[in-house]
Order: sequence, then C-alpha cells, then structure tokens
Amino acid sequence: MKSNVSRRSMIGRVGAALAGLLAAPVARTVRAAVTKGLASSGGAPGYDPTQHKWVMAIDVNRCIGCGLCVEACKKENHVPSGPYYRTWVERYVITKPDPGTDQARGETLVESPEGGIHGFGEPATTPEKIQHSFFVPRLCNLCQHSPCVQACPVGATFDAPDGAVLIDPKYCIGCGFCIQACPYGCRFLSPVTHTAEKCSLCYHRITRGLKPACVEVCPTQARVFGDLKTSAAEDPIRQFYQHNRVEALKPHLGTDPRVFYAGIDKEVR
Amino acid sequence: MTNQITNLLVEALPHFEGYVYPNEATRQPLWGVLIVLYPYITGLVAGAFIMASLVRVFKVKALEPVYRLSLLTAFAFLLCATLPLLCHLGHPERCLEIMMTPHLTSPMAIFGFVYAWYLMAVLLLELWFDYRQDFVQWSQHTSGFRGILYRAFTLGVIDESKEAIALDLKVGWIISIVGIPSAFLLHGYVGFIFGSIKANPWWGNALMPIIFILSAMASGIALCVFNYMTLTWIRRHSVDMRCLDAMGMCLFYALVVDASIEGLDWIQRIYGAEEGFQLLRQLATEKLFYTLNVGQALLGTAVPLLLLGTLQVLRRRIPELARKRMYFASAALILLGVLAMRWNVVIGGQLFSKSLRGFMSYKMDFAGMEGWFMGAVLLALPFIVLTVLVKLFLAERLPEGRGEPFQQEPEL
Amino acid sequence: MKQQSGLLAAMRSFFKMPPQIFRLVLLAVGIVVTYSTARYFLKPPSFGLYGWYRAEALAEAGGRETVYAGRKACEECHSDESKKLAEHAHKTLSCEGCHGAAQAHADNPDIKPEKQQFSVCVRCHEANRSRPKWHKQIVVKNHYTVSNCTDCHVPHMPEEAP
Repeated sequence: MKSNVSRRSMIGRVGAALAGLLAAPVARTVRAAVTKGLASSGGAPGYDPTQHKWVMAIDVNRCIGCGLCVEACKKENHVPSGPYYRTWVERYVITKPDPGTDQARGETLVESPEGGIHGFGEPATTPEKIQHSFFVPRLCNLCQHSPCVQACPVGATFDAPDGAVLIDPKYCIGCGFCIQACPYGCRFLSPVTHTAEKCSLCYHRITRGLKPACVEVCPTQARVFGDLKTSAAEDPIRQFYQHNRVEALKPHLGTDPRVFYAGIDKEVR
Repeated sequence: MTNQITNLLVEALPHFEGYVYPNEATRQPLWGVLIVLYPYITGLVAGAFIMASLVRVFKVKALEPVYRLSLLTAFAFLLCATLPLLCHLGHPERCLEIMMTPHLTSPMAIFGFVYAWYLMAVLLLELWFDYRQDFVQWSQHTSGFRGILYRAFTLGVIDESKEAIALDLKVGWIISIVGIPSAFLLHGYVGFIFGSIKANPWWGNALMPIIFILSAMASGIALCVFNYMTLTWIRRHSVDMRCLDAMGMCLFYALVVDASIEGLDWIQRIYGAEEGFQLLRQLATEKLFYTLNVGQALLGTAVPLLLLGTLQVLRRRIPELARKRMYFASAALILLGVLAMRWNVVIGGQLFSKSLRGFMSYKMDFAGMEGWFMGAVLLALPFIVLTVLVKLFLAERLPEGRGEPFQQEPEL
Repeated sequence: MKQQSGLLAAMRSFFKMPPQIFRLVLLAVGIVVTYSTARYFLKPPSFGLYGWYRAEALAEAGGRETVYAGRKACEECHSDESKKLAEHAHKTLSCEGCHGAAQAHADNPDIKPEKQQFSVCVRCHEANRSRPKWHKQIVVKNHYTVSNCTDCHVPHMPEEAP
C-alpha cells in the first residue's frame, strides 16, 4: 500500500511531465512560426537565431579612413541624411608635446566630418607636430550588459539570441531613453520614423549568409566579422583574436562590450 | 552682404566645440523643455501632497486653511502631468505599451503604474474621503450640471452617520500615510531615470533621486504658499498669518535640507574629480552660468534662504505686510529656482558630448513641440485646471487654522 | 433615506463592509478587470518568446531588402574579373566599393551599376598623414598629371601596366 506522501509526489511528477509535454509542442510551434515568419517576410528560410553568435571586431591598424563603410551603411539601411549615423569613423591626431615642457604628449584632436562619409582631408596640425594619427571606425559595441536594452520601458530594443542588438521599429514609442543610456553614442532618433535607430549588424544580410554592408565594402579588412558559434580557427574573426591584443571601450561602465579594438590608444573613449 | 549671410548661417547651424559624436550633432537636444516640465510638475504634485499630509498625519493644525487647497493643487497638477510626456513621444499612440508590456528593468516602465496608483489609490481616494460628506450635502442643495456632478461623485453612498464620518477620517488618515512614500516614489523614480544613466556623468549618480525629491518638496510647499496668497488676494480675504508663518517654516526647512544635499553633491564631485570633471566644471561655470549660478543657486536658493531665515529668527519684529511680501517673494523665487534646477539637469546633461571631448549649443525654438510657446502653455494649464477645481470644490471661506504651528492639540 | 438595491445590500451584508469601502472595492475590481482584459487583447502575440520583445521583430528585421549584392553575387557572372583580381593586391576589395551598390544590377542586369571615375582611386590612395604607412599613397597633385589613373594603372590588376 503506497503512502499518501509518495502518491502525492508521484501525481506531482506526472503532472509536471504532462505539463512539459504539452508545453513543448506549443513552444515548438511558436518557434517554428517565428522561423517561418523570417522566411515569409523575405528573410532566410530556416534561419535559427539560436544557432549563431555574430560579432564584429575592428583592426585600427588597417583602417585608412576612406569612409566607404559609412557610405555603404547609409545606403544599405536607408539611414536619413543629416547627423544620423549607424556607424562612423573618427580620426585621432595626437600631437607632440611643446618643446621644453615635461609632458609626454601634446593635445589630442578628434574629428569626424560628417561621420567620415566622404573620407578625411589632411589633418589641420602641421606634420612635424603629429606624434600619432589613426582612424577608428565606430559602431554599436554589442554589449553583453546593454544599458540600452535595460533602459527601454516597453521592450522595443533587445538582445537577439544571435548577438545583434536590435530595435523593433513597430513597437518603439520614441521616448529616447535608450539613446541617452548608450555610452558610445551609437543610437539616434530617426526624423523619419520617430523611433530609435542603430546599427543592426545588417541583420537582413547576415541572416542570408551575406556580410554587413560596412564589412563588405571595407578595402583593407579593418572590420572583421564572423560567427563565434560556427567559425573555424582559420576564419578571419578567430585569427583576429589569436593575433591581436585588444581593448574594449569604456570598460569601467560595466557594459561588457563584445566589439574589440586592436591598435587603439588610451585617447580613444 | 557676405557677413550677413555668414551670420545667418552661423545662427542657423548647430554650434559645437571640441569633438561630439556625429549622432549628437543635432539641432535640438533629444530631451527638451517637455522633459524639463515633467519632473517639475510631478515634483509640485509630490510637494503639495506632503503639505497636505502635514495637516492629516502630523496634525499641524495651523495649516488647516490650506489643506484642501494643497490637495486640489496636487490633483490639478497631476492631471496635467502626462501631457508633456505624450507630446514628447515619437509615437504617442503607442503609449499604452508602457502599461501592457512594461520592461521591468527600466525605471521609466513603472511610470504607468506609479502614476495610476498615485492618482487613483492616493489622491482621488483622499480627496473623496475628505469631500464625501460635502458631496452628499451639495448634491442635495445644488441643481443643474453641478448637482449631477456632485451626485455622481458621491458614488451612490449617502451615509452621513457618525460612524461613517469617523471612518472617513480614519481611512483618510491611512491614505495620507500611504501617500507619503507614494509621493516619494512618484517623483523619486523620475530622479532615478536620470540617476541610472551611467553613460552620462552629469546625471548618473546615487544622489539624483534624493535631490529630486527634496527639491520637489521645496517647490511644492512654495507652490502652496503662492497659491494660497494668490487665492486670498483674488478673493479679497485676509491671509491667515498663523498658517502662512507655519508654511514659511516648512518651506525654510525643506529648502535647508534640499540645499544641503545639493551642496553635498557638488562637494563630492569637486573633491572626487573623476573622469570628465574638467568638462563638467566648464559646463557649470560657462555654459550653464546664468541658469545654474544665478538662477538656481543665487536667486533660487541663497536669496530665499536669507529671506526665510530672517523670517524665522526675526518673525515677531517684522510687520505683517513685509512678512507677506517676503513669503511671496521667497515662494516665487523657489518656484523659479527649482524650474531652473530641472533645466540644468535635463538640458545641462545634453550640452556636452559623451565622448567627454566637446560641447553642443542649442537655441530654443519659439514654436514647435519643444518650443517656448508649448512650454508656457503646459505650465499654465495646471493653473487653469486648478481654477476650475477651486470654483467647483473650494469653499468661499477657508477653514481657520488653530494653535501654534507644530503644537499637538489635545484630542477632544 | 433611499434604500440600496436588494442585490448590493445583500452583497454588502455578506462582506460586512461599510458602504464607502464596498463601493470602492467594486470600483477597484472593475479597474483590475478592465486592465487585465486590455492586456490580454493589446499584448502582441509573439511577445516573450525569446525575451522581453516581440519575437516577430526578428523576422521583420531579417526581411528587409538588400542594396549591396556582395562579392559572391558579382562572381556569379563576372568570374573572369575576379580571377584577374585574385592574383593581385586588390583581391580583398569589394566590387561595390568602386562600382557602387549593385543589388539592383544583380536582380536586373540591364540596370548598370555606377562606373566610377578618378575620384574612386583617389579616395583610398590620396596621401594622408593619418593613414598607416603600409598603405600605398600618392600626393595627387604631384603625381603624374594625367587625366585618368587608368592611363597607367589597371584597377583589377594594379601591379600590371595597361
């Protein structure tokens, strides 16, 4: 004769198992619907966001400041003209210290004329005064603890399972909180849609096996893109991590960015 | 000719110094005057409610004349509080999302619930329990539209027995007690919205919600002083000096605490001198010179402290007319000073780049959603609503204050 | 004194509440019910599948049309050009970086991509002190003053002469 306790626990376990069995098909159906939705809306058929982890890395030693990436991004994503950039390039000019002073460096000048979309002219500083000068492409840092996602009051911006940080333009209420919360200045309020907008890693391209537009047009492979879930050791992204000592931007804020920069300087914030 | 064109262009183009992120190079700041007004208005609500709760909870009998006026003030301003937000949203038609799918990691997400809670469970309930007997009385004696209104407001309950009245007082007391932390939450979360933004060194620190709450209390009490004196002046009645002196004392101490904590914030920043401090110092001393040093600190804090402090020490020596003028001036200055404080926080935080290398300059438009005109309208609207409420719900003669301020009357 | 309706009086006596409280409780219940119903209808169906967002947004983000075709798309028809490129320094370049966005051309070859002129070469190869030293740069105004770069250089095989 079974005691009451074991019978109750048996019923409980069976009940839980049944609930799980019932829930699983429901979850599968919804997931299948989303995957199909991706295909039906023109996205890649059978793309499962949980099977990828996209990331971008920047090799500053290779950037020549041509601005093709900024132009390609604007065209590919129909970014409004004006001070609205999903990606941009900055130029840093670190000058030599004034002769006779006990400083290691002079002042640092940073500029990004129209985001670098037409490239850069010669730096204004006279050549003899330049100690270092380099270009830094900037984009969404794909934070692991995104302050923008944390800040959104309605759930219109989110960390996609495959590593991109996306915005849902049909749900965004345009409050601007995420734009204030991003420490890297990579978000803006679109004057066309009145919603927040940012680099989406060209989600419509990467889900179809293409590269983001900026990576596609970069002539020197300063932007390195890859899938951390499926990449082999010879792939550019793995080679990047293998051969470079890297930095992340604003680490003291605890956002834990996944975009690493090789070859920057302490002046890059 | 070329000079004139260049001057026009320079006026029209956004101004930047140093380096700003390309996305920050916009003509207008992302959060403009509407976002300055929202914390200001909710702060006034919280402060006016605290004034009312001083009567019910702390039993300051001298403040009895302004009890209902404070509640109606809080109510009028609360009704208008959502308007700046709705006007600011890129998609106001999606505003219900904040209540349907609130993202609980976001301080902004609690807006819908805190607002609804404070409006319904605190303010409306307290008003109802206080006015219930009057509604019953008035509904029996008034006809026409107003009569229907009063009848509707009784919610069908016309019990006027001694137990019912005692219950009204007891429940009103409980609601006032619940209302104090609710008022702090209503305004404190706004401070936390700014305090939680670690990306912005002007905003992101732990003192921000505290400073918001304390300045809200000062501004709310100042608003009650302002409204009380304006109302009695319009109605050609005499001011109850005992009440006014009590209000002045509350205002003084609220301002002292507020100024102390704001001063602490400054000392902390200057002493710690963290990354970006040089930039912020330039912000405070140059870009915000008039609104911060002159508007908020000197006119909004130092002068009222002086006036009110003098009144505390030398009250019996100062003639009544002078006292009334000093109270009114202090209240007006504090109201302007706290508005300046909201401006300095909201707009000031957007005047420098997050790259910590540059500044932006904005010129406020007159027309448009974030212009002077809209700001003025939204600021005037609560006063218009209050006028209607006073006409409908405030007796011609305000009740008498009793006893010395802060002295407990023996329960009869 | 007006009598309350029979049902309300019965409910009230059942709950043993004073009339004010009872009315307010009814009101509160009404508000909660209204909110719950509204939430049931207004919350988007796919919300919460992967996280606190509409899962359909992933599909919508993935469904946009491309403007740049990508190198592989060019190679489908222009494999001879990419064979030429493969042996030389410009092999890593994207076709569309110089020839312009080409998805429209890939979909309908009658639509020609923009064919770039002199300005394309200069964009990358104009000497600039901010550019890294390994990159080949010329000071354009001092460089051989001919009308086109292509008079002396072959863009797809930059080490060769035309």
